[in-house]
Formats: sequence, C-alpha cells, structure tokens
Amino acid sequence: MNPTTLFAIPMTLFSGTMLTMLSSHWLLIWAGLEMNMLALIPILMKKTNPRSTEATTKYFLTQTTASMLLMMAILINMTSSGQWTITNMDNPSATSLATLALIMKLGLSPFHFWIPEVTQGIPLTSGMILLTWQKLAPISIMFQLAPLLNPYIILTSTALSILVGGWGGLNQTQLRKIMAYSSISHMGWTTAILMYSPSTMILNLSIYILLTLTTFSMLTIYANHTISSLALLWNKNPLIALAISLTLLSLGGLPPLTGFLPKWIIIQEMMKNNSIITPLFMTIAALLNLYFYMRLIYSTTLTMLPTTNNIKTKWRFESTKQTLLLPTLLILSTFLLPLAPITPILN
Amino acid sequence: MLKLIIPTIMLIPTTWFSSNKMIWINSTTHSLLISLITLPFLNHNNENSTTTSPNFFSDPLSSPLLMLTTWLLPLMIMASQHHLSKEMYTRKKLYITMLILLQLFLIMTFTATELMMFYIMFEATLIPTLIIITRWGNQPERLNAGLYFLFYTLFGSMPLLIALTYIHNSAGSLNLLLLPFWTQISPPLWSNTLLWMACMIAFMVKMPLYGLHLWLPKAHVEAPIAGSMVLAAILLKLGGYGMMRITIILNPPTTPMAYPFLILSLWGMIMTSSICLRQTDLKSLIAYSSVSHMALVIVAILIQTPWGFTGATTLMVAHGLTSSLLFCLANSNYERIHNRTMILARGLQMLLPLTATWWLLASLTNLALPPTINLIGELFVMMTAFSWSNITIIFTGLNMLITALYTLFMLTTTQRGTFTHHINNIKPTFTRENSLMLMHIIPLLLLSLNPKMTLGFFH
Repeated sequence: MNPTTLFAIPMTLFSGTMLTMLSSHWLLIWAGLEMNMLALIPILMKKTNPRSTEATTKYFLTQTTASMLLMMAILINMTSSGQWTITNMDNPSATSLATLALIMKLGLSPFHFWIPEVTQGIPLTSGMILLTWQKLAPISIMFQLAPLLNPYIILTSTALSILVGGWGGLNQTQLRKIMAYSSISHMGWTTAILMYSPSTMILNLSIYILLTLTTFSMLTIYANHTISSLALLWNKNPLIALAISLTLLSLGGLPPLTGFLPKWIIIQEMMKNNSIITPLFMTIAALLNLYFYMRLIYSTTLTMLPTTNNIKTKWRFESTKQTLLLPTLLILSTFLLPLAPITPILN
Repeated sequence: MLKLIIPTIMLIPTTWFSSNKMIWINSTTHSLLISLITLPFLNHNNENSTTTSPNFFSDPLSSPLLMLTTWLLPLMIMASQHHLSKEMYTRKKLYITMLILLQLFLIMTFTATELMMFYIMFEATLIPTLIIITRWGNQPERLNAGLYFLFYTLFGSMPLLIALTYIHNSAGSLNLLLLPFWTQISPPLWSNTLLWMACMIAFMVKMPLYGLHLWLPKAHVEAPIAGSMVLAAILLKLGGYGMMRITIILNPPTTPMAYPFLILSLWGMIMTSSICLRQTDLKSLIAYSSVSHMALVIVAILIQTPWGFTGATTLMVAHGLTSSLLFCLANSNYERIHNRTMILARGLQMLLPLTATWWLLASLTNLALPPTINLIGELFVMMTAFSWSNITIIFTGLNMLITALYTLFMLTTTQRGTFTHHINNIKPTFTRENSLMLMHIIPLLLLSLNPKMTLGFFH
C-alpha cells in the first residue's frame, strides 16, 4: 500500500477515538466517531472479495444509522437546553436516543445482528481492531454519560446481550463468529454495571480487550479460521495450542484466571446495589459462553490426533505473521487475578 | 501454611528440570516429604485452630483432610507410572504438573480463612481435574464426562458466588474465624430460603447429592487412575468440608430447609447401593458406592449435631482412603486386561494372592468392619440420624446391609471362583503396586488404633 495511506488510515483511526474520548463538545465527539468509522472502512476492506465488501457495507450502514441517531439526540439536546456540553443532557428523549445509538454502536442486543456477519467477512487482524479498538469510543461516551442514560434500555439490552451472546455462539464453527458472539456477551457484562459503577465498566472493558487481543494474536499466527483448523495446531506449535486453551478458559471466566476478575467485581458491585437475581442469571448465562469455549479447547488441546478427528491436514508454511507482545499479553490474560486487592481504587 | 504451599509450587520446577529417568523418583519422593510437613498440623491441643496468618489456618476439621490431600499426591504419582509409560517425557511432566497444581489448589482450599478464597480455589480445582479427565482418559466417553463434571459443578457454584457476595455485603467479612460471631436472626422469608439453597447447592452437587449425582459415575469411570483417586478421595470431600463451614452462618433456616435433602440422601443411599448390586463395570460400582457413602455424610452434616459432624469427618477421611484404594485395585485389573468388566478377570486369588489380601482388606474397610474408622464414621452417623428421627434406622441399616452385599459381590466376583482361561498370562504384581496398596492400608489400620485425629472438632 501507498506509505502515505499506510500512515494516514491508522492515524485517523487513532485520532478519531482520541477526539471522542477527550472532548466535551457533542459535535466533536460525533465527529470523532465518524472519523473512526470512516478510517476503519479501508481496514475492513483489506481483501477485496465480495464477502468483505458485504461485511464493510453492513458495518457502514449500521454505524451510520447509529451516528445519525446520536446526532438526533445531540440536536434535541441542543434545542431543549441550548448547549453542547456532554454532561448536561437533561431531555429524556435525547438521553433515550443517545442510549439506543450507543448500544447500536457497541453491538449490544437487540442491535447485535451486524457483529457476527461483519466479523466473519473480514480478515482476522481487522476483526481484532473491530472488536477491541472500536469499543473504546462508545464506552468512553457511556462512561461520561453514565448517570444520564436510560436505565431500562441499558438493563434490557444487557440481559438480552448476555443471553444472545451465549446462545448464538453455540451453533458456530467459524472462529471469527465465535469471537463476535463472545464480544456481544462481554459487552453485555460491561454495560451491566454502567448504572452502578462506571469505573468497573472500564476494568471489564480493559480485561476483555486484553483477552481478545491475546486470542486474536494467537489465531493470526497460523490463520486459523475454523474449529477444525485449531485441531491441527498442536502438531505445528503445541505451545500456542496450550496458550489458546488457557486464554479461552480465561475468557470464559473461570477462576483462578484473569477473566474471573471482572465478573467477580461486577457481581460485587451489583450486589452492593441490592440487585441479586440479575447477577445470578447473568452468571448462569455466562456458562453458555463457557460451553462453546470448551468445545474449542477440546478440539485444540484435550483430544489428540489422529485418534478422534478426520481432518485434512494443511500445508505447513513458516509463519511470517508478527505477534506483538504475545508473551506479555498471555501472562497478563491468565495470571492477573492475584492483583484483585487493588480493585478498591475503582471507587 | 506457606511452608506447605511454596514447596508444592516448587515441585513443578522439580518435575520439569528432572532428568528423564528421574521424573517419577523425584516427584514421588519430594511429594512424600511434603506430606510429612502436614503431620504436625494434626496435633490439636485445644479447640482453637492453628491460625498461621490472616489468609491461612488449619483446625481439627481441615487438618485430616489436608493430611489426606498431601498423602495422596505421592500415591497418585506412583499409580500413574504404568499408563504413562509410553508417553513422551514432556507429556509425563505435564501430567505430573497437573496433579501438583491440583494439590496446590486443594491445599489452599482446605486452609483458606476467607470464604471467597475458598470459593476461588474450589473452582480452580476444576481446571486441572478437567484436563486430567479429558486429556488422559481412555475412552471417547471422557469428553462428555468432562463436560458433565465441569457444568454440573459450575451451575451449582454460580449461586454460591452470589450468596457469598451477599453475605460479605451484609456481614462485612467472610473470614471463617469471625463468622461464628455473626449472629443474625433471620425470619422465615423466601429470600432466606433462596440464600440457603444458593449456599448449599454447590456443595450438594460436589458431594454429590442423589438427584445431582449424574456427573460422578461418568467422571470417575472415564478418568485415569490418578484422576479417579483424587476425585473420590478429595474432591468429593470438598463438598462436605464446604458444607460444614457454611452451615455456621446458615443456622435458623437449616432446620426446616434440610428436610428434602435429608430425605433425598436417605433414599439415595439405598438407591445407589442397590445400583451397585447390578453393575458390570468395576469402576462404576466403586463410583456409585462413593455416592452412597457421601449420602451418609450429607445426612450427618445436615442434622448438625456434634456427633454428626464427628461422624462426617471420620467418614470422609475413611472413605477417601478406602475409595482411593479400591480404584487402585480396579486399575491394577484394568492395566492387565484393558477392560473394566468385572467378570472378565475372575478368580484372581489363585493367581495374585497378595493382591487378593489387598482386595480383602479394601472390601472389609468398605463395608465398615469394626474397628476401622469407616465403622466409627458410619456408626456415629447412624446414631445421629436415629436421634433425629427413629425411622432413619431402616434406611441406614438397610444401607449397611446392601453395602456389605455389593462389596462381597465385588470381592467374590473378582477374587474367588475359578479363573478364566484368558488371564493366565497376566503380569504378576509389581512392587510399586504393592507399596501403593500398602500406603493406602497402613493409614487406615493405624487410624483404627487411634481415631482421635480424624474425629474433628468434638473428640
């Protein structure tokens, strides 16, 4: 690619999110979101096959709809209160619209339908950026708007997302779709304590990004797209097979791995606010997620070829993909639970 | 407690850095040495616990179970030598590492002061066990077994997490040394019922209670020998230990709430013992007998009298050693004929007389022969149940009878009678196997001479 473009696109992506996170004027926040979306389009279109085109178009359409809803909310706020500061949003229709728009941006239920299809149509590294970096900007808006957002919409979409993320992933064999449903479920958990403790939301988001980055980094090494391609991983690189299994266990939220920490803190925060049945059903629905991660782990490490699988072996190429900071990410995504005593700083 | 935990963690580098011919020797010896460290914990002069730090402690309830855990690791490693002999060295070391990790998490579970730490370590024991069952089991059914094991336990423990967080918020602390002083008059509300259920279901699944026991035959049968040993000996006792700890804070609702579970346990005892009479698979028989013995423990804990707790503790230790011994014996059968069917290897007393002695001793302890601690445990539980209601004597007495029936059935099928012709070329017993059985039996017999240390709180 042209070096100028190679620099300009990630730079726009980065500065779009930065603009959203750092401004307090609604128009600039909206502009940052748009910059973000537009810069991501060429990244999603790295391969120019019809599948990618369709995925990118779906992404564009949903994100534009969400941005327009957000713009509507901004304008209603402008006309009713006469100012553009983000933290002074009093009009209930503005806040409800803004909630809906942000939910659509994040890919929570009931607006989650684009995530599996978009993630499936794009290359693995683009999927990584879509599921991790793109969540930062909307979450930062939600963080700032936390006391103002409509709690009914938030709680409904949380509960629906965790259920959809769990059930939707059960019938998948493509890894990108599995990661997409995992993202829907984790975003559900993230918005669950938005009402009670927004800083815990940031904790959940950061650990989720850590885990997703680790998983995608390991999947890109041998370009694994399906469960059956993971089954051959132990032959090429047994260490990565073991590492993927550990990271997936952590994603599923099993103690004593890192992924348990955000769930634990979220449950604690929700219980402090007298919400008891909701966390109960959330944790049980998270077990659905664990089921399809277990399926992946079974085919990766816990069963051994050639006794159980009839899989066509692939050519063994030298892996030329760069994996940035993989050992660090791996250690962070599995062994961070003993640092749990620092979580009171979130208050 | 760090004098126990740090050496156990350090066993992992010991295993990985050992030269290839010293893997088994190093790990077995050093784990035996570590088990010597737990012996002083059994010395209790008064009812107060040995509080070693804000995070770890040991008291007359947890120290016999701790001793059992550390004693079992060298036995597990010794038992696994044969079926891993054809594996690559890295895989052998990985297997031993899984066992060591499991022991580490178990030590931290039994010595935890905070109930949250207990919970995290309770869940953490699932991962190495799952890996041992699904990766090193022998039949394709092990995949289903691993999933059943994982998901049954997790379904039960998610409500426990919620309940523990709720108690933490309302009581201020989950420290086991402080909880007995937290008195709360809880009126008979629905929410207290749900809280009681949420706290107990995880341990009921783990024990297992009769209606929730489906994971156990699968997991015990499909696991390799070390997996079966640790499942039967220790992991089931996690449920009993947890129940005994958590009933401290659950007291007023326990009296009405325990009724359905008591009835289910009493009936389940009879049912699972009767199922044992019809089993063809040897390991399955031992697995169902574990359910039956643990049902007695549930009855004892739910009735909540001092003799009940004493009986429960004794029965847990006794059953741990006996069940583990029976699995080792069944495994020695399996390694010779590669089949778990009982009738395929009959009349072994003719061929392997010393092993027949071990089978006899194991069967005698399983059917609770006096004066073994199995009998002491069962007798105390029977007396407790009788004091709760006279009618339970029918169930417990019938259970003892059927236990004797199936144990003798197992003994006579495998040992007595004429032997089948296809087994006259099996290998004789290895010294390793004999010493393994000996190391199971000797604690059982010695504890029969002085059961004081396993009697728990109220001796």
